[in-house]
Amino acid sequence: MELAKKLIKVTVNGEPRELWIKQNITLLDLLRDHLGLTGAKMSCISNSCGACTVILDDMAVKSCSVLAMQVDGKEVLTVEGLAKDSKLHPLQQAFIEHVAFQCGFCTPGKLMSAKALLDENPQPTEEELRRDMEGNLCRCTGYQKYIEAIMDVAQHPDKYGAKEG
Amino acid sequence: MAEFRVVNKGIPRKDSIEKVTGQAKYTFDIVLPEMLYAKILRSPHAHARIVNIDTSKAEKLPGVKAVITGKDTQGMRFGFVDTPRYPCEQPVIAEDRVRFIGESVAAVAAVDEDTANEALDLIDIEYEPIPAVFDPEEAMKEGAPQIHGEQIPAPGRKCAWQDWGVARAARSYNPVNNIGASVNIGYGDSEKGFADADYIREDTWVVPRTNHAAMEPHGAVASYNPLTGFMDVWLSHMGYELKRYWISKTLGIPISKIRVRKTFVGGAFGGKAQVFDHEIIAPFLSRKTGKPVKLILPRDEVFTSTNNSIALKINVKKGVKKDGTIVGQHVKLISDMGAYRGSVPVCLFLCHSMRDAIYNIPNLTHEGVGAYTNKSTTMAKRGHGSQQMTTAIESQMDWIAEDLGLDPVEFRLKNLRRKGDVLPNRDTLNSYGLPDCVKKVVEASNWKEKRGKLGPGRGIGLAVSAMFNGSGYWPFTAGSIVRMNHDGTVTLYMGQAEFGQGPTTTTCQLVAEELGLNVEDINLVDGDSELCPIDYSNWLSGGMFVSCKAGLIAAQDLKQQILKIAAEMLEENVEDLEMLDRRVYIKADPEEGVAFDEILRYSIQRHDGDPLIGKGFCKPVPEIEFYPSLSKGSGRWTDAYSFTASVAEVSIDAETGRTKVEHIWIGDDCGREINTAICQGQLQSQAVMGMGDALFEEVMFSEGRTINANFVDYEIPRAFDVPKITTIDASDPDPNGPFGAKEIGECARAAVIGSIVNAVYDATKVKIMSLPLHPEKIFRGLAQKAEA
Amino acid sequence: MRKFEYLRVNTLKEACSLLSEYKEEAKVLAGGQSLLTLLKMNMLSPSYLIDIKFIPELDYMDFDEKEGLKMGALTTHRTVEKSPLLKEKFPVLPETELVVASVQTRNWGTIGGTLVHADPIGDIAPPLIVLDSKIKLASGGGERTIPIAEFFVDFFMTVIEENEILSEIQIPTPPAHTGVAYQKFSTIEAGIKIAGAASLISLEDGACKDAKIALSAVASIPMRVLKAEEILRGKPVDDKLIEQAAQMASTEADPVTDMHATDEYRRELAKVLVRRATKMALERAKAT
Repeated sequence: MELAKKLIKVTVNGEPRELWIKQNITLLDLLRDHLGLTGAKMSCISNSCGACTVILDDMAVKSCSVLAMQVDGKEVLTVEGLAKDSKLHPLQQAFIEHVAFQCGFCTPGKLMSAKALLDENPQPTEEELRRDMEGNLCRCTGYQKYIEAIMDVAQHPDKYGAKEG
Repeated sequence: MAEFRVVNKGIPRKDSIEKVTGQAKYTFDIVLPEMLYAKILRSPHAHARIVNIDTSKAEKLPGVKAVITGKDTQGMRFGFVDTPRYPCEQPVIAEDRVRFIGESVAAVAAVDEDTANEALDLIDIEYEPIPAVFDPEEAMKEGAPQIHGEQIPAPGRKCAWQDWGVARAARSYNPVNNIGASVNIGYGDSEKGFADADYIREDTWVVPRTNHAAMEPHGAVASYNPLTGFMDVWLSHMGYELKRYWISKTLGIPISKIRVRKTFVGGAFGGKAQVFDHEIIAPFLSRKTGKPVKLILPRDEVFTSTNNSIALKINVKKGVKKDGTIVGQHVKLISDMGAYRGSVPVCLFLCHSMRDAIYNIPNLTHEGVGAYTNKSTTMAKRGHGSQQMTTAIESQMDWIAEDLGLDPVEFRLKNLRRKGDVLPNRDTLNSYGLPDCVKKVVEASNWKEKRGKLGPGRGIGLAVSAMFNGSGYWPFTAGSIVRMNHDGTVTLYMGQAEFGQGPTTTTCQLVAEELGLNVEDINLVDGDSELCPIDYSNWLSGGMFVSCKAGLIAAQDLKQQILKIAAEMLEENVEDLEMLDRRVYIKADPEEGVAFDEILRYSIQRHDGDPLIGKGFCKPVPEIEFYPSLSKGSGRWTDAYSFTASVAEVSIDAETGRTKVEHIWIGDDCGREINTAICQGQLQSQAVMGMGDALFEEVMFSEGRTINANFVDYEIPRAFDVPKITTIDASDPDPNGPFGAKEIGECARAAVIGSIVNAVYDATKVKIMSLPLHPEKIFRGLAQKAEA
Repeated sequence: MRKFEYLRVNTLKEACSLLSEYKEEAKVLAGGQSLLTLLKMNMLSPSYLIDIKFIPELDYMDFDEKEGLKMGALTTHRTVEKSPLLKEKFPVLPETELVVASVQTRNWGTIGGTLVHADPIGDIAPPLIVLDSKIKLASGGGERTIPIAEFFVDFFMTVIEENEILSEIQIPTPPAHTGVAYQKFSTIEAGIKIAGAASLISLEDGACKDAKIALSAVASIPMRVLKAEEILRGKPVDDKLIEQAAQMASTEADPVTDMHATDEYRRELAKVLVRRATKMALERAKAT
């Protein structure tokens, strides 16, 4: 059966969008295929890896497991929306400074998880941070430098410039 | 200790902006106009004849542009090994038979993924299942189902080794009793060694397949231009030359018309080195349809249908004197090869050669076979035999020490080779930091205070490993170019694939150091087979020692050209000049100098337009034309070895058998840490990956079906599981390495696995002779010990 | 995913009405953290997807000392994890949530959705069981409330009818001097659960007035172990008694052998986890 596309209104990285989409696509498909925002990645098919993490109404979610139709009327922030006016977000700067990433495939997801976490809990302990980053798999780095970078931002909020909201 | 400006510093990576902003494009992200999406239909049977395939319904589905089967790719064969002795035997798409669950049996290209998937459902295949065999020792018995008949190359077909000019005698191969590969290496007389020994120990380990689990799934995008005959491909890969060779070989397209475009690659760990069926199928479909084709494997197919790490049963017999001197060793290997050879013939050899630089063993026999089974193929994973062998050998070293009342550290140090030693294969150990690695981790971990004193349920273990630095394998060279730009900056051309290991950053550091520049002054053209020179690749452990070194040599070449012109301009001798910050100046009078851009202009005007281009190239082992024989293993192999010593401390929850790794110390000899942050990252990564191998990673099968082909059931370490990791630089610069540097990407993992295995034994005194050391195994071992 | 018609509803009544109309052709979508994976693997192909995620009347948390807690089915796991109310009144729930999936899943996934999915390795069911929770099921014809222990029937199967929606979880206020704990076992910290145990101990005059123990991942459903509970009930609880109860629990368990563990090992783990959870529950009961 050929089903009609439906219109949804979603704000992505601060830009209001109106999109006609198939009803059976995920938020990840919407971002990558409709908007060309390829930062969020698909790595697994079992809702396990977190490479597709974006921020939906201030919450980190795995975009592969959110039906696109559910984001109608909502706000989505992706890695492409982190830097503002040519200035990198403190987490992006910290990741660079600490040489936190290697292949970079999981990096967008990690940035979005970390941002959501720090926005909610600006001063996590390392244990809290490690537990809260469980949903973001990485195979290249062993996580160490990512954790150091995020803790650095948490413990020195002014080091990388004023934190964006 | 040499002082460097740029080298040996933890500077940010050159690909930082792309990777933190989501701009980095992976194969997964490539979108081209009118692109089609391809999917592969895979065999549900472990072993079956294909009786009939009916694709008519699929072809009629609106939106389907092509459906192909083994008939379309008839006769096309590929493999990682393709020699007269071991002709490649894997069909691009199965023809009359399927030999493992997950083998390609058909492929579809359609306007979108949903349509492609629907079309797969419409392909009717009639199979006639035939008996299958899944265990290598069963496969080698008389009467077992034969997975391959005689492997006769097609008339007129030259194998890869012949194409590369390095083949020996040609004959067909008959895999009797499913034995598809064998190795027999030796020197001295191991039987005599055992006769001389005061003590002999023999142990057998089983190491299963694990998965690389790189975050980016395998995939390819291909775009054929029928008007020019050019095939552009985007691949998730580790080096473009081997891919170009095989796409050319199978599809009959001249290699010079196959362009691998730059992509970032989301991790590899050895699992993306060989060419894959999907990397030939995508270009085939693109040529057939005249449109770009994207073929990305979903995660379950990465598990079932690409490759897993080499599975081995390892028997080690060792003879020692009372004082701990090793006098003889005999290793026997059986590899569960899978349906096609993969890299097993190479691995059987590497199992010996990766270890031979470590201990001085005067009498040694190393033999092994690879048996075909009806499972997927196996391939290098970050160490390629090193981690399997290190597990078996390093655990036995501890047990011998225990049996004889020797100190395990002294026992190892006593038997280590020495710097300057010439190995039986005539490789020379020009650098040998291993003793220092051992001493440093023993000290850093407070080994002496802890070993034997930690109390019940806690243990500490040590292991050592080695790694080569490139060998003679096609294309046998790395080329690089560094050219001057108008404003005195330079552009570096290097073909290496970037899959996380950071070669663009480290090569820029080498070039910057040589030319007195900052890395910001170096532009990059990388990873594109048309824009960059011949590339050696990054899966032969020669990234730094060979490929990056070519970049340094190119910089050295340019430096000489610059100095020559500057000397002319300044009327000075070249030896009296120095360069820094895009300027050449007189050492004795630094105010006097000329800027790079001035030098360029002068060169162009006064030297017939010479735009100052530096050329560099590096052959991995200059005096040999090829890798040693895979079956006899004799002959020069590599110009340098890297080394690691690792100590792990664990605590075991006896009630459940669960192991907690408390701390891992790694002492690594990588010659020189070019980028200290990247090097730490590599060691941390290897520690965590090694922990996974040691404690819980295993690809599991049931009647040939992979039953844990996802990240829920195949667990890899997550952020909370990571122990404390201390990395220690114990480098011994190699005279042939760029600023002394050697590899750092592969060596440590084996040592970490061995040290965790030894720590668990120290904590439990239970010998678990198979990996992974799953909690249930430890629990049972402890229970049995308690009953005894 | 195969094609389906997506229908968003704003009230429970609408949802029930659509369910009655489409019956087995429809599936209910809340957070979709389990459902979407099944749809993507084509293990389910409903023609209609009824999205109840945004029904305001199903997202609430009310507490009353007498009535206990009433939680709307759309309460997310993250809400439970972070709730100051629950940290005070039912701390085992936020505690357990720390080991449920990942933050991202907890942000969007709902308690109701998880319970209906009925994965026997799920962590949240055992604590809810020992807390004597009830489930309210709504349909076009009305509603019914059943004890949670009767809700689960088999692997991924509950008593929920085709036309019903899980609307509320009710948890009675535990008596004074009650402690609850949950312990789980997985090879890696956030890994697949091989066994789990929740224990509730209520004390009165130094003896155990009530004990409830529930296990996960050792049977086709999260299950109570009644004989183990009996060993504890009415007696002063000491280590020896806990050991007996743990031993009994492991015999009551009905685990399978699968790729992650043998049935024997799961039984052993059940014993260890019941012991640990019960000890912890006892400490907590004494501390209140």
